[in-house]
Amino acid sequence: MNNVLLINESLVFLNVVVGCLLAVWVLLANRKEKLNQVFFIMTILLVLWVIFAFLGSFTKEPQKALIWYRLNWGIVALFFIAAYFFSIYFPKKITENRLLTKFVIILCSLLFLISVFSNLIIEGVAEQEWGMEIIFGKGKLLYYIPIFFLTFLILYNLFKEYFTLTKQERLKVQYVLIGILIFALANLIFNVGFTVLRGSVKFQQLGDYSVIFPLIFTAYAIVKKELFGIKVVLTALLVGLIAILIFVDTFFLTNKFGFQIIKGTLLVLFLFFGYSLIKSTLKEIKLREDLEKAYQELKKLDVAKSEFISMASHQLRTPLTAIKGYISMIIEETYGEIPEKVKEKLQNVFISNERLIKIVNTLLDISKIELGKLELKKEPIQIEDIVQSCYEELKIIAQEKGLTFIFEKPQPPLPKVNVDPIKIRQVFLNLIDNAIKYTFKGEVRINLLKKGASILFSVKDSGAGLTKKEEEEIFQSFTRGSAGLNYFIEGAGLGLSIAKKIVELHKGKIWVESEGENKGSTFFVEIPIESNKT
Amino acid sequence: MPLILIVEDEKILAEMYKDRFEKEGIQVDLTFSSEQALEYLNNKKPDLILLDILLPKANGISFLEKIKQFKNKTKDIPIIVFSNYDDPKTRNDAFLLGAKSYLIKTQYTPKELVEEVKKYLNLKNKSQ
Repeated sequence: MNNVLLINESLVFLNVVVGCLLAVWVLLANRKEKLNQVFFIMTILLVLWVIFAFLGSFTKEPQKALIWYRLNWGIVALFFIAAYFFSIYFPKKITENRLLTKFVIILCSLLFLISVFSNLIIEGVAEQEWGMEIIFGKGKLLYYIPIFFLTFLILYNLFKEYFTLTKQERLKVQYVLIGILIFALANLIFNVGFTVLRGSVKFQQLGDYSVIFPLIFTAYAIVKKELFGIKVVLTALLVGLIAILIFVDTFFLTNKFGFQIIKGTLLVLFLFFGYSLIKSTLKEIKLREDLEKAYQELKKLDVAKSEFISMASHQLRTPLTAIKGYISMIIEETYGEIPEKVKEKLQNVFISNERLIKIVNTLLDISKIELGKLELKKEPIQIEDIVQSCYEELKIIAQEKGLTFIFEKPQPPLPKVNVDPIKIRQVFLNLIDNAIKYTFKGEVRINLLKKGASILFSVKDSGAGLTKKEEEEIFQSFTRGSAGLNYFIEGAGLGLSIAKKIVELHKGKIWVESEGENKGSTFFVEIPIESNKT
Repeated sequence: MPLILIVEDEKILAEMYKDRFEKEGIQVDLTFSSEQALEYLNNKKPDLILLDILLPKANGISFLEKIKQFKNKTKDIPIIVFSNYDDPKTRNDAFLLGAKSYLIKTQYTPKELVEEVKKYLNLKNKSQ
């Protein structure tokens, strides 16, 4: 009996000290915050609840025990007022129903008065082997029904906005839930398990004293801004629980010194590996969070980059327009006659400026695609007409290089395809232009055919060709084949990147095949016919 | 002699276009902001307006919105937007607010611009 009293006294003392410390810690963390104030009051009431329950159980005089028990039950009613407010403010304030709040306050106050000043709830006490037992009054249900309702209301408040909460706010709720689950588990073990299996009620208070666990978890959830993931908490709890079991087994249930040494060593090893496990779990979580943060930062940077390119390109266009305009007017002799030689040189300046304008326009197109601002203006098009116009435009350049340049319109005509004619023309023109640029002798052949539900465009040349690595990278921005660099062919390596993006916007495919360096290459574009119908 | 109004804040560009238009016998008045242009329209009625979009304070789109309030007075003046800002939304807004065309400056030499403008001036002459 003395042992039971000693254990109870120790646990009550532990509850009171830890409870008071938690209450003060949370209040000092933010004195002005309603949630912290409510937690303080709630914890103090809980501490009183534990003290009165202890005094009721172990006071030798029945009259005094009755008073303690009645105060104990009264305090529980007041605790529910605080818990109700807690559910309004945790983890973030929800809209309060003022009428309901008044009702809760009145109901709990009435329960307090009935519990403390009448014998409706507690009629008396009976002395048992382990201490004083409550004899309930006729109005026991008057107490239980409202308490059941209040418990439901509090849980409802805590979880009703769970799915709209942020990750950290959800984690806070999960912390409280873990605390409540430990409390429930301890009650199940000590109040139900021991009572049913061993037929003894002398340990039942042990379950009640575990009320400190939800308090610890809640206090931590309120005060700490960044909470550890639930995985870490559960790992730590499991490690702690197993360590306690090994400890109890080693020092209380094992008699032989030899076994104690073995089990003690096991405990030390377990603690070491348990600690390593928690540490590595923490590390893994931190790594994942860092990665997520870095990814979000990168995404932001990517958008910022595209916006910067967009704005810079618009600004770049103004001086380029002035250069283009004035040079063209000087060449036209708007400002007076100029020598033929100067005109020739100015023509070169004009061409260089046009190249610069083209690069800026391509950059703008890329940034538009990346910002999701490029809009396709689709219309049903006879695609061979687009290819034919590209062919006509580039024929002279191919002839000047002495290349055989071939395009035969497919017969019968291909079905119309719903595409943005300007953008698709840009793709074809770029691919054919590249083929001519990178072919120094031989031929450039354009093919167009219907392949299943798609149109397949290809341009085959006998030019510089590509290595396998180049084939893989050629469609990335600012990437050029080695031939481009070796033969000083103009270009910024943006044309194919934009071509790829335009084709993808049309839900098509673009790729290149090459036998290798100096063995020519074939660029393909496949655009679905059906899926482009609008 | 047809008269056009150019609304362009870049003085260097505005004067360049003025030179080229005048060479073609088209009279040009310059304004350097949207507010200036609105004030101009209170007193004069050009045959065509060449409008930039990126203007200080009120931009070209807000100019188009405000000019609608002039109702009949400016109703039949064709407006060509001429800007280096080619954002699809701005383009759509411009057309919805009555712009006849949306040209990108870098794509046109002054000579080519004159040709474009002449198309609209001729159309206007024919309809009159």
